[in-house]
Amino acid sequence: MDDPTATFKFLGLTFDWTTIISTLLAMAIVVIVSVVLTRNLSVKPNKRQNVIEYLLDFTNGIVGGQLSKKQARQFGLFAFTLFFFVIVSNEMGLLLQIKLGDGVTYIKSPTANPIVTMTLAIMSLMVAHGMGVQELGFKGYIKNMFFTPYAWMLPLNIIEQLANFLTLSLRLFGNIFAGEMLLTLVANSLAWPGHFNGLWSVLSLPIEMVWQGFSLFIGAIQAYVFVILTGVFISQLSGNE
Amino acid sequence: MLGLTTLAALPLGNMLFIIIAFLLLMLILKKVAYGPLTKILDERADKISSDIDGAESARQEAEQLASQRQSELAETRQNATKVVADAKASAQKQSDSLIAAATDRATSINQQAQTDAQKLKEDAISGAKDDVAALSVAIASKLMQKELSLNDQQALIDAYISDLETK
Repeated sequence: MDDPTATFKFLGLTFDWTTIISTLLAMAIVVIVSVVLTRNLSVKPNKRQNVIEYLLDFTNGIVGGQLSKKQARQFGLFAFTLFFFVIVSNEMGLLLQIKLGDGVTYIKSPTANPIVTMTLAIMSLMVAHGMGVQELGFKGYIKNMFFTPYAWMLPLNIIEQLANFLTLSLRLFGNIFAGEMLLTLVANSLAWPGHFNGLWSVLSLPIEMVWQGFSLFIGAIQAYVFVILTGVFISQLSGNE
Repeated sequence: MLGLTTLAALPLGNMLFIIIAFLLLMLILKKVAYGPLTKILDERADKISSDIDGAESARQEAEQLASQRQSELAETRQNATKVVADAKASAQKQSDSLIAAATDRATSINQQAQTDAQKLKEDAISGAKDDVAALSVAIASKLMQKELSLNDQQALIDAYISDLETK
């Protein structure tokens, strides 16, 4: 599945067009949706405001269930942005994939790219570690992370921290990547030159639809799981097991 | 699709880009959605709790007023009963005193009338006595004028009259 990629270099760093365009598109959708939904805010909400309030209540609920009030307040914006961005990214590729003549897929789910999910995981863990330090102080944070409940558990704890990063990033990537890959496979089989026959395309359309629906569901679940796990890590690193 | 070969080739630039873009997104969302929404939600929570407090205090006030009314009503009723009883008692007293006065007056009038009547009777009797005496004398003198000379019979007449007068 090594499709060609389009890259460019800037300041000695290599950038990948697909990632940049997809990420920016997902972010643009997030911003546009929030701007549209938050016009004319009032204490007595209208329909549009209800939608985004529900979303905010949802992420605040995830956060509030795990963290102290003070930490929930700090983490609220990050959780809201993270959930909104991840869910839009997850679903975007199911509705829209653009492949140009050079064989490069320019627009797809950003979260079907391991670099993106790893970056998100790094940010989440940085937030979690930062809030751990803030809560326990640096000494307490180190002790809580590596020497709890017993000092001899240090190796296990180190592995756990690495595992946290990998599970958080690769779970999201794996789910979305697999969903899109299967979708592409089914779609390609529909328009496979030389293999086109009427019966097969009629059969694959419902399969495609079913898989698309299931992937939508998975995308939402994974966004939820990503935010909830970030909350769990914050909670763990702040000393509440 | 991105495979492992690209993973090694171009992570850093993409990562930096994503981190910066995500931070910018967070900033925009804070300005556009999260900040205002949180403010609105807080306002609503404040409003609801203050409304509940207001309702509670209003209810207490109403209850207090109701009990105050109740006690005032009871007091008023008691007062009214008392006033009526007082009025009744004073009316009774007044009527009793009036009746007593009337009785007294009637008794005194009665007595006065009796004494007056007695006096009149006595006066009449004594008047009648005098008249009878005078008439008797007149009749007697008329009858005796022919047989008795005034001089001869003077002593007899005097004795007769004095006898009458002592009666």
